[in-house]
Amino acid sequence: MTLTGGQATGSGIPRRTRGLRQERAVTWLFLLPALIYIVLFFGYPIVKNAVMGSQDYTTATFYTGSAPWVGWANYSSFLSSSLAGTTFLNTAVFTVGSIAGQFTIGLAIALFFRRRFPLSGLLRSLLLLPWLLPLIAGAAVWRWILDQDSGVLNSTLLHLHLVHTSVPWLSSPGMALYSVIIVNVWIGIPFNVTLLYSGMQGIPEEHYEAAAIDGAVGWKAFRHITWPALRPIVTVVLVLGVIYTLKVVDIILGLTGGGPANATQTLATTAYQDSFVRFAFGQGAAVNNILLVVSLLFAGLYLRVNRRVSDE
Amino acid sequence: MRLTKRRQATSTVIGIGLLAIMLFPVYWMINTSLQSGNVGASSTLLPLHPTLAAYRLALSQQGGDIVTSLTISCGTVLLSLAIAAPAAYVLARSRIRGRSVILLALVITQMVPGIVIANSLYPAFDQLGLLNSRLGLVLADTSTALPFAILIMRAFMVSLPGEIVEAARVDGAGLVRTFVSIVLPVSRNAVITAGLFAFLFSWSDFLFALTLTTGTNLTPVTLGIYSYLGGEIQSWGPVMATGVLSALPAIVLLAFAQRFISVGQLNGAVK
Amino acid sequence: MNRQGSRSTRVLVAAATCAALALALAGCSGSSSGSGTSATTGLNLTIEDYYSQPAAAAYDTIYSACAKQLGDTVTISHIAGAALIPKVLQQVSSRTMPDVLMLDNPDVDQIAATGALSPLSDYGITGAGYIPGIIAAGSYQGKLYGLAPAVNSLALFYNVDMFKAAGLTPPTTWAELQADAKVLTKPGRYGFAFSGVNTYEGTWQFMPWMWTNAGDEKNIDTPQTAQALQLLTSMVQDGSASKSVVLWTQADVESQFAAGKAAMMENGPWNIALLQGVSGLHWASVPLPTPQAGQKSVSPLGGETYTVPQAGDSAKMAAAGKMVACINSDANQVAISKAVAYVPAKISVAEQFAKTNPLLAPYVTVVQTARSRTGELGNGWDTAATAIYTAEQLALTGKDSPAAALKQAQGQ
Repeated sequence: MTLTGGQATGSGIPRRTRGLRQERAVTWLFLLPALIYIVLFFGYPIVKNAVMGSQDYTTATFYTGSAPWVGWANYSSFLSSSLAGTTFLNTAVFTVGSIAGQFTIGLAIALFFRRRFPLSGLLRSLLLLPWLLPLIAGAAVWRWILDQDSGVLNSTLLHLHLVHTSVPWLSSPGMALYSVIIVNVWIGIPFNVTLLYSGMQGIPEEHYEAAAIDGAVGWKAFRHITWPALRPIVTVVLVLGVIYTLKVVDIILGLTGGGPANATQTLATTAYQDSFVRFAFGQGAAVNNILLVVSLLFAGLYLRVNRRVSDE
Repeated sequence: MRLTKRRQATSTVIGIGLLAIMLFPVYWMINTSLQSGNVGASSTLLPLHPTLAAYRLALSQQGGDIVTSLTISCGTVLLSLAIAAPAAYVLARSRIRGRSVILLALVITQMVPGIVIANSLYPAFDQLGLLNSRLGLVLADTSTALPFAILIMRAFMVSLPGEIVEAARVDGAGLVRTFVSIVLPVSRNAVITAGLFAFLFSWSDFLFALTLTTGTNLTPVTLGIYSYLGGEIQSWGPVMATGVLSALPAIVLLAFAQRFISVGQLNGAVK
Repeated sequence: MNRQGSRSTRVLVAAATCAALALALAGCSGSSSGSGTSATTGLNLTIEDYYSQPAAAAYDTIYSACAKQLGDTVTISHIAGAALIPKVLQQVSSRTMPDVLMLDNPDVDQIAATGALSPLSDYGITGAGYIPGIIAAGSYQGKLYGLAPAVNSLALFYNVDMFKAAGLTPPTTWAELQADAKVLTKPGRYGFAFSGVNTYEGTWQFMPWMWTNAGDEKNIDTPQTAQALQLLTSMVQDGSASKSVVLWTQADVESQFAAGKAAMMENGPWNIALLQGVSGLHWASVPLPTPQAGQKSVSPLGGETYTVPQAGDSAKMAAAGKMVACINSDANQVAISKAVAYVPAKISVAEQFAKTNPLLAPYVTVVQTARSRTGELGNGWDTAATAIYTAEQLALTGKDSPAAALKQAQGQ
């Protein structure tokens, strides 16, 4: 890096130092609108929600404004309830299953689309449809497709003699969670495909050509060129993917309402129902805060692991 | 990746097959929207007596809503990108104190359920007179899209080869100049992808649309759909028709935008 | 010109002026005592409800007509279904509630308990002559806060053709219901369909069975409630009702019945217009079967009430009170009932109504003995309702026996 000279100016401050200070100011100016936005829109709600978890917040509070402090009562009442274990387990299974499915299928499809073939652009855009359609409509359609008696999936499977009795996709407590995961994967694939594909497009063609000369193609090329180059994108996709999946409420409620018999009840659905069905807002906020801690733990853990790997 | 003509054709076939499986539920949506009467329990595999009644109803009632949604979504994209792009660049390339804190804060904002934000915005917007306004919804939707846009664009910009930026600095370009003339054009993929998601977030937003309007004049299409399901009688035909109709302009826009995500942005830049 | 004449003229003029003034003042005070009424005219009232088309159009007409009658204008907001209560709570906390607020009757206690509603007695509304159940639903701590112009409940719909083909008459007892459902179940169709979904809708559909068998929401861990749950569970277990009832809403149940996939369904009168539009479907409705012959079924009471939130502006609140009274007028009760297939809430009006609307006559009978959900527990109803649908889901999916499921749910 060449020095741009240290000529003194009339003000006595070397131009370079003045330039640095100016640059630092501009740097913060680049950041400022975003920071202001975040603080304005997220600061108050986050704090309020954190506090609400320790309050007895009911519908009356909306009018009177009084919410007595109850300390850890909301948290302990949730954690000691008989549903807590099921809820945590469902959340874990739902999240792991969804991410594993969405990411691997998304990566595979993104790799597939690296080839240039007729209609690839059109097909890639159409792939966004599951994410684009209103969730209400999507959930209803999946409910009909998965209906045990008259759903088109069961009729097809029976017709092809792949099963002998109709499968209770959503009406059996044992199967419902997996069916919901399948639908969530379906919705999440476009998200993963788009981001991973965009990331791959940034890898110059020469890298692959150079590697091909050394005989590295296919899987080897993926491992040594594609994957390392995608690392930052993959980090964002996975961390945000987990965070978004932990928050999912609409799909689950649209498909099963959290049932049957709480088989698809997660932390997020419990928090929602506590607040907006039972009007126990303090309880709902407490469960939300638990969810936030889980998200933070995951994000922190993943970033730590990632940093260690990239340091190697 | 160049393929032989034959492999290209095979790929196209596989691609279509893949999409057929992935989009079957979308087909079902269109299928039921073309059938009259009790959709759901009595829908057949193919629309044997197709009728456009649901579409006519949906267009007459939701047509304006689609325009509203388009306006709001485009506004969200512009605002989000304008704020996010500079921030992402700084967070990717500059060494500033508190960078990790800011990144962590951005990730934390994504953990907050939307309804918590919506509930806090309602009284604030009410006082500022931003309820029932397109501007209000653009501001609210941007709050959802902004952190994500920053994080995504930052991830792309981190991978920028340092040489091109250095070259510009050597030539005496300041931060702004570097950003506008060098970084942005090279980060085209990142900006378009982030814009795409900002559009999607805003287009499919239901929560802010519901909370920040009072049911009178401003109804984005997500809200319009909900009105068919509000009462005890649920008319799914118009819901499906609205869903399909609302997806069309969005798909066209996104297909258009995706064309600009091309390969080899940096080809030739680092020579 | 004599002075006395001009003096008497002056007196006359003075007297006339006084008289004129007095008359004018009387006229003014006449209109200022009438400005008690003119204070409620010329206002713009806001009304909020959760109706969607096509019902919303009927209500819009009524709101506008009532407003016109009062000399006011009205701004109507329709906020779809489940989104109304969250919106109401936001408005409660920001003190921006509408002048007239429609609340589904089980929500009245929740909102009244916050202190945000004003008692209807302030506006001279007593609810005299109404079905006792709906008055109980709209009251909180003995005061009436919400009055419903029209009500609905649950009854048994059956497919006339299927019954004729099987040589059956509609069941009146639980035993008959089970037997008929079994006989009518064939490949591709179930004998009976109901909603056992994981929400308050599932609870709503369970209430007739529980209440008619003397079960009570204060404690659901009783043999009576267990028997009611056993009835439904047996029908699912022996295949007369689909296992998907744990996912079906009432709209899904209607869908099944209309498609000929269920011979009987438990549902409400709002489906009548839809059912009439299905070609080839011949249906009728009767009160739900009771445990023993000759009993009266006790079904839950549905229907939306109109309330007057606290606004701090007594003129507006007075106008809102008049609005609520107008919406509840006899003529409007009939209009609403006709438009959305409900039943008038005033007993005398309902009896007249039954004579000219045979399709809704069974519901007139049912609502006379119907019960409100919040009548006993007030704003503690939500907890009981949650326990009920939780237990129902456990039993219907076979995870627990009805008695064990109820015990577990009651204990939570």
